[in-house]
Amino acid sequence: MPALLAENVTAGYGRTPIINDISLSVEQGTVTTIIGPNGAGKSTFAKTLVGILRASTGRIMVEDLDITRMPGHLIPRNGLVYVPQNDNVFKSLTVRENLEVGGFAAKGDTVARMEEILSVFTDLNKAREKRAGFLSGGQQNLLAIARALMVEPKVIVLDEPTAGLSPAYTDVVWNQIERIAKTGTGVLVVEQNVERALKHADFVHIFVAGSNHVHGLASEIASLDLPAIFLGRAEAK
Amino acid sequence: MSAFWYYVFTLVFVMFDYFILAMGLNIQYGETGILNFAYIGFVALGAYVTGASSMPSSAGTGQQYIMGWSVPFPFNLVLGGAAASLLAVFVAVVALRRLRTDYLAVVLISFSLVFYDITNNYVPLFNGADGLYNVPEPLAGLFKLTTNSFVPVFAIVTGLIALIMWWAMSRITNSPLGRTFRAIRDDDGVAAALGKGVFRYQLTSMLIGAFYAGVGGGLLVQFGGSFNTTSWLPAETFVVFAVIIVGGVGNNIGLLVGSLLVETLLIHLPAFLPDIPGHPGLIQYIDTMVVGVLLWVMLWFRPQGVVPERTRKTPLSLLQGLKSDRVVNSEVPAMSMSDGAGVIEEGGVRD
Repeated sequence: MPALLAENVTAGYGRTPIINDISLSVEQGTVTTIIGPNGAGKSTFAKTLVGILRASTGRIMVEDLDITRMPGHLIPRNGLVYVPQNDNVFKSLTVRENLEVGGFAAKGDTVARMEEILSVFTDLNKAREKRAGFLSGGQQNLLAIARALMVEPKVIVLDEPTAGLSPAYTDVVWNQIERIAKTGTGVLVVEQNVERALKHADFVHIFVAGSNHVHGLASEIASLDLPAIFLGRAEAK
Repeated sequence: MSAFWYYVFTLVFVMFDYFILAMGLNIQYGETGILNFAYIGFVALGAYVTGASSMPSSAGTGQQYIMGWSVPFPFNLVLGGAAASLLAVFVAVVALRRLRTDYLAVVLISFSLVFYDITNNYVPLFNGADGLYNVPEPLAGLFKLTTNSFVPVFAIVTGLIALIMWWAMSRITNSPLGRTFRAIRDDDGVAAALGKGVFRYQLTSMLIGAFYAGVGGGLLVQFGGSFNTTSWLPAETFVVFAVIIVGGVGNNIGLLVGSLLVETLLIHLPAFLPDIPGHPGLIQYIDTMVVGVLLWVMLWFRPQGVVPERTRKTPLSLLQGLKSDRVVNSEVPAMSMSDGAGVIEEGGVRD
């Protein structure tokens, strides 16, 4: 059973659909990325998965639970968490408080869980009493990811977690993403950086003009004529 | 009691009362980020309900008001606070559910104007522009207080009430609930993405803040003995905003400092000073301008206020829940985020 399954999802802003009839699954313990040109509907799809936007058609499942019509605030406690692209931490709160907020919907021992996560994100541990607004952009992104882990998610959806980061930090963030997947969590990453996505992901989906144009194993996708696909000149498969 | 001490205790009352009002607005704006420009409307409703519920039946008084139940102090205060909270539910459902930031602020300003027009013109309910007068002085009968001795006693009682409400507010702001309020203030979208019912928390914040507004208004009407509609002009909301911005948004101690500096020393103290010869009322106009200039200066040079917001530590007992049954990442070694990317320092590296 996939950790996340989206079937024939159509959604958009108001009555205008941005994404059309998209199907996608994220297996447990794998990293799946969505790449594509600007305006392809990648972030719109991510927002639809987590209930920020409503799917007009289709179905979204977290394991065997249908969350398509579930109120957005109930989705995280049912195993699907979302890390937005920018401004994804509470800047006036400390690192510790950010994690505590993330753990509010957790079922387990919040303190133990926080210590567990901080033992992995070691620099967050050192900075636990500092305000998140004082962290660097990369550190803020890692904090947002760490905070999402507080609810022990089945699936985590990351919207461009390395946007605007230095190469060094991009590596750090991707390494942590791979570690999360190794624990059995399904990870779906919306990514602009094609090279990184192909390097770190197990499965890749290429969105073009609101549709899931091409998808497959990362190794298979790497062998395709990606510029042509991005420009919509290649056939879907 | 000499006139000097009468004025001093009047100022003490003002300081504590505006401390309560500031705590109410602070939890809405300073903690939750709700720009409530209709705040004075909640204060006015609390004042009216406290006053009207403590008065005897309106028959034969020459005034028109509802209730007239002779509710004793402090139960009338609780009624005033509850009425303001009830109004907050209405305002939140109408305005807060769908509107954000600047749009919400515009709608709340319009609410404030509507509140004012209704209280000033609807005679059967609020006695119109005449308002209420002869509101009973609380505890006066019990302690056989004269008009003079009532002032210091009530100032001290207000101080005790402010202390209790400060303790309660500190419990709220230091709890997981308060932390969630601040998370919503920082970014309601991210809070929603983490599973927070943002509207539910905003409504809770509005209810708590409105209760404080109602109690603060109730104390004012009992101290002055009258409900005067001109006291609740929409601009009065900005005086309370000035108190919390000058004192320190998000810091309860800062609110007391702001109340002392702005409302007590700048607005009320000059009212006791003799007029400048040939310019009656000039001092009052000047002190209003001084408050405005002070607001500019603070926002420009020290937006965090005299006493800035501090980081809080939620008591461990409030965080501990059930034991987790899943171990995540325990098998992978720790990795430093600073590898090749610098260490975290306060005010330090930004990508």
